[in-house]
Amino acid sequence: MPRTGVFICHCGSNIAGTVDIDKTVEASRNFPGVVHADEYRYLCSEMGQDIITKAIKENDLDRVVVGTCSPRMHENTFRKAAAEAGLNPYLLEVANIREHCSWVHKDMEEATPKAIALLRAAAAKAALNEALEAPRLDVEKRALVIGGGIAGIQAALDIAEAGYVVDIVEKDPSIGGRMAQLEKTFPTLDCSACILTPKMVEAAQHPNINLLTYSEVDEVKGFVGQFDVKIKQKARYVDPVKCTGCGICWEKCPSKASSEFEMGLAKRKSIYVPFAQAVPMVPVIDRDSCLYFRKGRCQICEQECPPQAIDYEQQDEIIERRYGAIVVATGFDQLDPTIYGEYGYGQHPDILTGLEFERIFNASGPTGGKVVKLSDGKPPKKVVFIQCIGSRDKARGMNYCSKICCMYTAKQAILLKEKVPDAKSYVFYIDVRTGGKGYEEFQRRAAEEYDVAYMRGQVGKIFPEDDHLVVRGIDSLTNRNIEIKADMVVLAAATVARADAPEVGRLVGINSDSYHFFNEAHPKLKPVETHTAGIFIAGACQAPKDIPETVSQASAAAVKAIGLLSKEKLQGEACTAEVIQSECSGCLNCEAICPYTAITPVEIEERYKDGVLKRTVAEVNPALCQGCGSCAVTCRSGSINLKGFSNDQIMAEVDAICLQR
Amino acid sequence: MAERNIESVNKVREAVSQDLLGGRIDLLLGWEKGHYWWQSRPLFARSEEDLEKLAWDSFCAVNLSRYLLEELKDHDKIGVLVKGCDARAFNRLLQDNMVKRDQVILYGLPCPGMLDYNRLIEKAGGALLGITEENGRVILNIESGEQEAQRDDLLLDKCKDCRYPDPAVYDQLLFSPQGEKEGPERFKTVEELEEMSAEERFGYWEKELSRCLRCYACRQACPFCSCRECFVEQENPRWQGRAYQPSENFMFHLVRAYHGTGRCIDCGECERSCPVDIPLQELNRKLIKDINELYGDYEAGLDAEQEPPLLTYRPDDPAAFSEK
Repeated sequence: MPRTGVFICHCGSNIAGTVDIDKTVEASRNFPGVVHADEYRYLCSEMGQDIITKAIKENDLDRVVVGTCSPRMHENTFRKAAAEAGLNPYLLEVANIREHCSWVHKDMEEATPKAIALLRAAAAKAALNEALEAPRLDVEKRALVIGGGIAGIQAALDIAEAGYVVDIVEKDPSIGGRMAQLEKTFPTLDCSACILTPKMVEAAQHPNINLLTYSEVDEVKGFVGQFDVKIKQKARYVDPVKCTGCGICWEKCPSKASSEFEMGLAKRKSIYVPFAQAVPMVPVIDRDSCLYFRKGRCQICEQECPPQAIDYEQQDEIIERRYGAIVVATGFDQLDPTIYGEYGYGQHPDILTGLEFERIFNASGPTGGKVVKLSDGKPPKKVVFIQCIGSRDKARGMNYCSKICCMYTAKQAILLKEKVPDAKSYVFYIDVRTGGKGYEEFQRRAAEEYDVAYMRGQVGKIFPEDDHLVVRGIDSLTNRNIEIKADMVVLAAATVARADAPEVGRLVGINSDSYHFFNEAHPKLKPVETHTAGIFIAGACQAPKDIPETVSQASAAAVKAIGLLSKEKLQGEACTAEVIQSECSGCLNCEAICPYTAITPVEIEERYKDGVLKRTVAEVNPALCQGCGSCAVTCRSGSINLKGFSNDQIMAEVDAICLQR
Repeated sequence: MAERNIESVNKVREAVSQDLLGGRIDLLLGWEKGHYWWQSRPLFARSEEDLEKLAWDSFCAVNLSRYLLEELKDHDKIGVLVKGCDARAFNRLLQDNMVKRDQVILYGLPCPGMLDYNRLIEKAGGALLGITEENGRVILNIESGEQEAQRDDLLLDKCKDCRYPDPAVYDQLLFSPQGEKEGPERFKTVEELEEMSAEERFGYWEKELSRCLRCYACRQACPFCSCRECFVEQENPRWQGRAYQPSENFMFHLVRAYHGTGRCIDCGECERSCPVDIPLQELNRKLIKDINELYGDYEAGLDAEQEPPLLTYRPDDPAAFSEK
């Protein structure tokens, strides 16, 4: 018979307010095997832990049940307290009488018997607990950063500076991401490229950083400390070693395609670098538009290339590497506003999105930096900015705020006034949100010094008339209808998750919210961790955010990765699966279901009649097993037990709850 | 029973005897006649003499592949006569890693469907001395003379809605294929049960399952039941109570049916072997129907290479828990 001690926590009034502690302690004394029961106001406090440690020693306890909050909160705290008294920490069992009981009940008459039932179940399970040892696992001292925007660059630089090797995987031909597309940055109006390109160059030159551009993550296996990743490096058709980036190829290339970097507002060649400061300065050939790949003729780039770097035979390559930690920094997309028919986006060249307008300002953009209308090349005199296109829109299920639009609109209105001094800007907004250092001041300057007219209200229709765009809206403060004859309309289209975010999430094994932004492990206390150990998130792939916030989050993710990589060994999972091989029939369904490739077939010998029979059974590699339990529930004959959650233990819990009311 | 098929039996015997007598296989799993003319039981042939007993007629319903589980312990290479359902059963065992393909030689027998003795005597309306068959008709020899009936009306339940009478896997096909069938009423009873209210349905199964003797014949006949120790016999933990009562009968049959989800090859041997006529195949067919509806059409046992839906993950799999 075990000698079990039960300890019940009041959690202030969190538990004690709904559960009768005295009754619960009394009832606990009568559970089979319980020799000691006690209670305390805050068991997680030092005093509380002392009570447990002392009681274990004084009463010679060999099992401990704590009735407290969720094991996610304090299981470790109490395991350590048990270990302090010389007990194997896995002999302690947590009954969650807060989240599972006191918090979800109001009536003490109902909550108390439930708390008792949960404790009885925990005591029944604890009686079958076994001492477990967690394996110690190696850490691969190398990090992977997925996404080469400012978030990925910053995270990689920080990790590299700490002395660890980092690979940046970027799916575009150059690193730089969204920030590279921006003109100036709020609230200081420094040029985006001027502050970004030094970081791009630093990343490229850093001895600890490897850039894998034009590459995508193909597969992620393994677990914290030992992620086995397959990276597909797409064929560039240009040898990066030979290429000098001289630019003759894209100068001479006769075929064109729409430029992704210019948001489709300009053309690029079929062999191209996305922008002038691209890193690496090695072009790629876009097979879909290249004459040679389409029709088998041309090859001008090959003929013209001085170092003969063109290689049409290049193939996609799969790189396989092991990483200790992964930072996901895959960024965001801009909503395509065509779904909002009333704004007429896509039907008139002077109706633009915020990011498109950004390119109009840029000296290397489609207009060479001249702020002009795309329809007739004349400078716009009246520009209407409309906020919250696809943001804060309950009707279309896009409830969240895109966060950056209020500020970049103020910035664009200021830049417009500077470039076209007689231009007038109008901003239709729901609320102006300027949380951030210097942000409010910046927006006020736009309104007060740059003559930007802010109108609280919404636009119902935009249509072309003569040589301008008629914007019809309503001023919700005065309830007046407004009609503006504008030269240009800029839609602050929502910041949305990357189109491939669900796939990336599935690939690396992290989950997302309903908008496909990746979920942090805790909204306040674990903002860069994910629910998968060893995988961190940074930047706008988690939620819309501006550059300063992105950079701080990237550094935070880097610190978490560094902390992980700096460990000599990681403590592995003690609660791993084991196969009862004499019962295993060897169907190996567990092998198919295991997400960690921890199960392999093994041949065993058994006595049969006068001889020996060889047969195949399953075996679990405890170093790879993460204790998810999928195999245990797949096994029809119950031949797999998850240590710490064995079939007997679960059954004992069920019996303890069902057989006694 | 008139020998409608001396020729066919000879053809089968000819095919297998070369292999058995030539030592290519150590054992042949086939059928022989039982005590009565309407019974064909498994034959374990090791010699020429044994092969003399070989039968291939309209009563060879027993699924032979299941016997491989035991026989492979004692034999290196076994020949098996396989109908459509026996072949799917073989694929089941193959996918469950219970057999290796090269341990077995399969002689494929496209199956016209097996006859149900109960239907025969019902049709005869009295003592039935034997039958002869020709062109899809069955002639019943009764005391007062002869009576004719359509063969399709006399099939076993398990054969009535069989969609794949031809073996999906074989080394040698002994007769010309029957072709794929529609099986239009395969899910008819399941649909009727689905129409019922929960109470009605519970009442139906309570009544049916109350007859269960827990003899486990269904399990013993089943090609997806290949566990070394069935959950019903485990002591620690004891999943299945020994008590002979409805709730324990429910436990057994529901868990067994769930163990066949995406694995049951719909051979109907469970129901045919049940001594108290529990419509067990309806439980299995409900799960087959559910799997088809959730994950797209899947016919267990047709293709051993095709991954079973419950052992694979596709991004577009339904996620009932996260979808509202």
